[in-house]
Amino acid sequence: MTIDWSWIGDHTDDLATLTVSHLQAALSAVLLGVLISLPLAVVAHRVRPLRGFLLGISNVLFTIPSIAIFVLLLPVSGLTRTTTVIGLTVYTLVVLLRNTVEGLDSVPAKTKEAAKAMGTRPLRTLLTVELPLALPVIMAGVRIATVMSISLVSVATYIGDGGLGQLFTDGFQRDFPTPVVAGVVLTILLAVVADAALVAVQYVLTPWQRRRA
Amino acid sequence: MYELFKNLGSWLTSGAQWSGSDGIAHRLAEHLQYSLLATLVAAAIGLPLGLLIGHTGKGAFLAINLASFGRALPTVGLVVLVFLAGGLSMLPVYVALVALAVPAIVTNTYAGMTAVDAGVKDAARGQGMRGHQVLFQVELPLALPLIMTGLRLALIQVVATATIAAYVSFGGLGRYVFDGLAQRDLVQVLGGAVLVAVVAVVLDVLLSTLQRFLFRHRTA
Amino acid sequence: MNRRTVLGGLFAAASVPALSSCASGITSLDSQGTTSGGGSSKGGVTIGTANFTENQVLGYLYAAVLTAAGVKTNVRPNLGTREILIPALKGGDIDLLPEYQGALLHYLAPKATETEEGEMQNALAVALPAGLQVLPYGMAEDSDAFVVTRETAKKYGLTSLADLKKQNGKLVIGAAPEVKKRQVGVIGLREVYGVEFKEFKSLDSSGPLVKGALKKGDVDVANLFTTDTDIQANDWVVLKDPENLIPGQHVVPLIADRKADSTVRKALARLGNILTTAQLTELNRQVDKDKKDPEDVANAYAKQHGLA
Repeated sequence: MTIDWSWIGDHTDDLATLTVSHLQAALSAVLLGVLISLPLAVVAHRVRPLRGFLLGISNVLFTIPSIAIFVLLLPVSGLTRTTTVIGLTVYTLVVLLRNTVEGLDSVPAKTKEAAKAMGTRPLRTLLTVELPLALPVIMAGVRIATVMSISLVSVATYIGDGGLGQLFTDGFQRDFPTPVVAGVVLTILLAVVADAALVAVQYVLTPWQRRRA
Repeated sequence: MYELFKNLGSWLTSGAQWSGSDGIAHRLAEHLQYSLLATLVAAAIGLPLGLLIGHTGKGAFLAINLASFGRALPTVGLVVLVFLAGGLSMLPVYVALVALAVPAIVTNTYAGMTAVDAGVKDAARGQGMRGHQVLFQVELPLALPLIMTGLRLALIQVVATATIAAYVSFGGLGRYVFDGLAQRDLVQVLGGAVLVAVVAVVLDVLLSTLQRFLFRHRTA
Repeated sequence: MNRRTVLGGLFAAASVPALSSCASGITSLDSQGTTSGGGSSKGGVTIGTANFTENQVLGYLYAAVLTAAGVKTNVRPNLGTREILIPALKGGDIDLLPEYQGALLHYLAPKATETEEGEMQNALAVALPAGLQVLPYGMAEDSDAFVVTRETAKKYGLTSLADLKKQNGKLVIGAAPEVKKRQVGVIGLREVYGVEFKEFKSLDSSGPLVKGALKKGDVDVANLFTTDTDIQANDWVVLKDPENLIPGQHVVPLIADRKADSTVRKALARLGNILTTAQLTELNRQVDKDKKDPEDVANAYAKQHGLA
């Protein structure tokens, strides 16, 4: 298996386009996942009976093969980027929901009581006390969800999307390893860079953690 | 959508659908074989590695980072790569599934080991236990819940991902998903997806039962 | 992830159809959509292609000639099978698709009996759903072929599809998954030639899986395309089709009415009149064997033949 370096040199534009498209799909899914899981996590955290139900649904969705989700979405959203993003979002939920609930659980009851005693309203307490304190655990979930999504985007190549995943089906059909190797390496690089960026975001968002450390 | 679920019902319950080489029974057996073998191999690699790192505290940084690299590995790419390198066999599928499962097992095993109270380990050593005795009689039992979590997580992911075998001409429940995609037969796709989910949930319940059985002496 | 939550979720998923209740059907129908009369390619044309090399070459050839005619194009390669592409064309995700006369006709009307090109073109006009039309077919042709190795042909005395019946229940056929349910496939072979295979193996469209399986002997009969240079290179035997199960497969553009204007028609008709089967085969070879990009190969061809 030899790598055709000149192919890589001739295709830097294509590789860049696919990488951007790949990242865009993964990040859209994580963003959508955060937007969906935040309110659900607050509900699961406050309303105990719903907790098992919500976490359970996300767990079961996680057991469905991603390719099947993409195909089953075809009658709804067709051969579009939307299908890819919805499919990926489903997978981010399991991690995001669980971590956000755990993050909210980890906020000491005394802290919440103190906020209440100071007359802070519940929504304000949630936004200014609970969520910031839960942030480290939530961000841990966001990091896992991001890396997972970046690795999963390529499955959408079976429905004609998939960012760097297109290099896999192309290399497969033509017995041509070079694009496949390029795709695998770029996917991992993308995951590493995205993860490092999220660590930096967390560092900026949680100054109190810095001082303690 | 109602129509889809009604057809799913008849798809799942028709006798003809269950028999033969493309029948559900055979595909189910194939899927179980792929998933269990891959998870066993991954456990054989991941458990000792996680225990070793956790016990000695050496190489943890490297291992944890490698594990998160591992999580980023695109399964489709890995399958195609091994296929192009070595030709058509189940090897590409197993390599990809093992690569998927090992990180979950290593990180959870390591996490379980580090969660063991240092005081407990010191006490064990103070009683004259040797390194391997501390590992197997103290650390391992205490780390077991997290280790089991890792194994269950790995197994669920492997069961869902083993569908990829069908992409490179093999069987398993993924056959219904990939054939259903090519034929745009959504009932078949849904049938395959539901069966995969059922297999994952059933295996998870079995493992959690096993886990409880292992700890029955400690639940008071 | 404890046992209770996993099971709870299972029941929840079974009783709450909310996950999937929004199947409203088709997406983003173009606003100029289904109006009768002329379409317009002004807003650009999205060309979809199926999951095999030649279809991508054709898609990029369409793009090359349309671009030269001043139409904005966007090629979406490797979208899947006809079964996936035609709903996408109806739904508006794509506008134009390189198709094959006979295969398309049998997809739309499995019982169609037409085999002559002109008749098929008429039958297609009748069979196509509202909103879609075929443009004039081209010279180039790429048929389905059922192929065996030289050794298998000798061993079982196979020269035509009719000979397969003598080996009923013994032979394994390999093809893309959709061929199992297609008229030009397992169904037609049973109905027309009385052939029953021992097993159907789901592989790919004249790709590495089906050719690898034929080489290794994992399948006895393989469904390949006649423009695949590997048939000659491996000295494989294409089984004859005395009953004309496999219809003529001239390349034909399938387009949504909303985009079919005279600019598009003319550009694609010119390409169809120039591109020969031998040339198309050679372009496929450059992509598969020389690892050239289908886009580059198509552009070079268009330039060389004064189409761009």
